[in-house]
Amino acid sequence: MIRRALRARTAQVAVAFLGLVLLLVITGDLFAPQDPLAQDTGAVLQGSSAAHWLGTDYLGRDVLSRLIAGTRVSVFAALTAVVIGAVLGIVPGMLSAFSGKVATWTSLRVADAFLALPFIIFAIAVAGLFGNGLFQAMVAVGILIAPVYFRIIRAAALSHAGAQYVEAATLLGAPWWHVLAVHIWPKVLPAVVVTTANLAAGGLLVVSSLTFLGIGIQPPEPTWGGMLASDLGYLTQRPFGPVAPALAIMGTVAALNLLADAIRDASGDAGRAAEALRNPLKREVADVR
Amino acid sequence: MTAVATPEVQAPAEEVLAPLDEVADLAPHSPARGVLIALGKGLAIAVPVLFLTTLITFALGAFSDQDPAAAVLGEVATPADVERMRHEFGLDRPFYSQYGSWVWNALHGDLGSSWFTNIPVADSIVERLPVSLSVAGLALAIALVLGAGGGIVAALNRGRFVDRAITAVSAAITTVPAFVAGIGLIIVFAVLIPVFPTGGYVPISAGIGLWASFLVLPAFALGLDASADLARQLRTGLVGSLDENYVLGAQVRGLPWRRVVLVHALRNGAAPAIAVVGLHIPRLVGGAVITEAVFQMPGIGQLTRDAALRGDVPVIQGALLVAVLLVLVSSLVVNVVLARLLPASGRAA
Repeated sequence: MIRRALRARTAQVAVAFLGLVLLLVITGDLFAPQDPLAQDTGAVLQGSSAAHWLGTDYLGRDVLSRLIAGTRVSVFAALTAVVIGAVLGIVPGMLSAFSGKVATWTSLRVADAFLALPFIIFAIAVAGLFGNGLFQAMVAVGILIAPVYFRIIRAAALSHAGAQYVEAATLLGAPWWHVLAVHIWPKVLPAVVVTTANLAAGGLLVVSSLTFLGIGIQPPEPTWGGMLASDLGYLTQRPFGPVAPALAIMGTVAALNLLADAIRDASGDAGRAAEALRNPLKREVADVR
Repeated sequence: MTAVATPEVQAPAEEVLAPLDEVADLAPHSPARGVLIALGKGLAIAVPVLFLTTLITFALGAFSDQDPAAAVLGEVATPADVERMRHEFGLDRPFYSQYGSWVWNALHGDLGSSWFTNIPVADSIVERLPVSLSVAGLALAIALVLGAGGGIVAALNRGRFVDRAITAVSAAITTVPAFVAGIGLIIVFAVLIPVFPTGGYVPISAGIGLWASFLVLPAFALGLDASADLARQLRTGLVGSLDENYVLGAQVRGLPWRRVVLVHALRNGAAPAIAVVGLHIPRLVGGAVITEAVFQMPGIGQLTRDAALRGDVPVIQGALLVAVLLVLVSSLVVNVVLARLLPASGRAA
């Protein structure tokens, strides 16, 4: 599935870009040409130069270094949300394909209730209520994306729940976890992968929005969203300042979405459940953006 | 929002509706009956969802580590003072009792008062709602006009340059988040070509022109994404329905082409696009928070953000509740419109 997806040129570009981002996450500010926190009051709000490839911000800090150093926080926070959402959503989603009417109805209403909460407002609220931290906010986002996983995985599992081999396995006395792990899991795996890539992109946008608003981040620490916000105040002096962090955010989001599309296309029948994301009438989930 | 007409919920929805049909005494397939069914189905989902979200919203506040006594009295407060303050706010009562009175008061328009300023939450929200609704409403209008125009033009020119251009541009736009679009619009239309103000808000009473000039950029920033999605869905739907036999039939009967497209094909091809509008409404409400921050507008978003940074629980709860209500009501409206426009949508989904 993955190998077939990687035949597409767009997927190769996306993977290369994501690899670079991942490298920056691992190395942190190791490759940053300068100290991302070092201020140089003699050289504030400069354009590109040999010393500062992407210029300097309002305190004379090197933009490229801050961009590199900000990668880790932004990506980690997005991954936190996705992992929490996956843990809370995938197994219940598979289970609900087998559950009775009452349990199904109740779980779907609970999922609807969480999906009706606007992500950003909910994340801001939780960050505010449980101490101003990015981690708290992303746990909240993780809880909110769990129903997205739940809905998609449920839809994917539903078409296999009534299959004869599942019935046969149950009749032969296989316990429920065996049926899920051996018979259902391989069938829903493509949907899981596609959903994860899509939600990681959505999560990154939420992180960027929150850090842009100043939620959960202490000012000197660089984040992509925070850089956007601080550059916004100095547009008259440096009109193209926000372009670099904006491109970093959009590039990563676009790469994740392209990768998701390529995997969806490559996984054929099995990816159809995630296809529900594309067709709004059948769309069982609100994708996050 | 979720696709509201899932098969699982049809049984309870129909039970709710049986008496309604008798009362209304409608013909079995009249459009009004379809609308009533859609309304009933929507309510059967919206009401439990609303109940659960109020529970979530309230539980969040109740179990948070924010304490008004500590917040208001500061660190020098004696335990007795804190106890008295907690009693004053009703925080020493059991959870269900606090929740009950919060819901009861909310039903009467009382969302409590800010812990810090003592201003009633409902007043703050009513004061700021026009800002957020102006931005979100205008964004929705822009999305509908641009999206419908783009989608129809693309579908009528299928395969030609115009179609490919519109498709490519909308695909590009959907990758741009609202706040990046907002910053881009500020750079181009407020800094490089200073036509519009970089941010702020004036009420409509100061003059419609002035009010609109402050709203154009934020509304575009917020609405672009929805308009691109709408254009794509409308193009797909319309291309499909233009191929149908009834379109050919209408042409053969000599109906003017404009009528064939706008009445026959559009009505049948618009369903996915309308569903997309419904999906975008929570995003418009949530995205308005970010857009308000980019353009420094005093709306619900700013209220929520300031409250969150201070830990002002009643304000956060109130803002969250209003946001959820907006989402639920608008998705209900979309579903009813969908049912009216396309009687088969309820059966198909």
